[in-house]
Amino acid sequence: MRRPNSRWALGWFRPSRLLAAGYCLLALALAQPNPSTPPPDFSPRVFEIARALRCPVCQGESAAESNAGIAVEMRRIIAEQLAQGKTEAEIRQFFVERYGDWILYEPPARGLTLLIWLSPLVGLGLLGFGLWRYLAQVKARAQVVSDVSEGEIARLEAELESPERQP
Amino acid sequence: MLRFWPVWVLLLGGLFYWGMQRPNPTELKSVLVGKAAPSFSLPLLEPYRAQYGAEMGIREGLNKPVLLNIWASWCVPCRTEAPLLERFHRQYKDRVLILGVNVQDSQAEALRFIRQYGLTFPSVYDERGRIGIEYGYYGVPETFIINRNGIVLHRHTGELNEAQLQGYIERVLQ
Repeated sequence: MRRPNSRWALGWFRPSRLLAAGYCLLALALAQPNPSTPPPDFSPRVFEIARALRCPVCQGESAAESNAGIAVEMRRIIAEQLAQGKTEAEIRQFFVERYGDWILYEPPARGLTLLIWLSPLVGLGLLGFGLWRYLAQVKARAQVVSDVSEGEIARLEAELESPERQP
Repeated sequence: MLRFWPVWVLLLGGLFYWGMQRPNPTELKSVLVGKAAPSFSLPLLEPYRAQYGAEMGIREGLNKPVLLNIWASWCVPCRTEAPLLERFHRQYKDRVLILGVNVQDSQAEALRFIRQYGLTFPSVYDERGRIGIEYGYYGVPETFIINRNGIVLHRHTGELNEAQLQGYIERVLQ
């Protein structure tokens, strides 16, 4: 077995070689795509619009996240329509005309959907009403207590302090 | 508020009952129902070109009811459905057009599927599923029932059985 040549081994640790290796590693690190960066074929704007649309064949995934064929095609349609100069609203309308409001992650506030949008407000209103009723009752009870006359209070205090009640 | 608890119980119970009354939770009503079927023309798969020409699709003046069936060779329910569609095509081909749209598939696999089941009803090739999106499809198989005036009557999601197919054919022939 050949013994490792110590001069050869030391040669690898020359500053110039170390610097070159460092540059290589840095270049490799910079070449790695950021995980949140969309693939290069579509612009980030495409993914931004696709994020608001459901993937029809997926469970809880948007057309931006899914790699299902239909989601990829949806992204392609968005890219094509952006290139044609269409606005985001027009592109969304294109999908709504084919799938209905269901395709939107944020359905418009109209019809039955409006009730759902308003339900937190209705809930808050009911909570406020309940609180108001409760506080009114507490206040009414306090009013009853304060209606006791001064003479009655003095009589009760005297009774409490009477020698028969002392331990 | 608690004095009115029977009203609350009735209200919530009614809401629950109404929610449970959906006839078929798996049914996805198409927004196209009652509207004109989107027109298109796509290249036919090779075995049908000699009989039907290079392209086929939905267009004005077709004057024939259409059962537009979206399928793919990798779809398991499509395998059960294909022989049934073929049988109905042989029976009703003069009065109803059964038109297949092969989506998101490789042509070689689609042709193997056609040979395997001996399908004689025409199928067009839509590699990316663009026409599927035009029709607002959710997956395969999916069948759109279109009357002779080109109006979408119904969308059937999933595999068709014989009774359903018979019902749709009778509906478009009325």
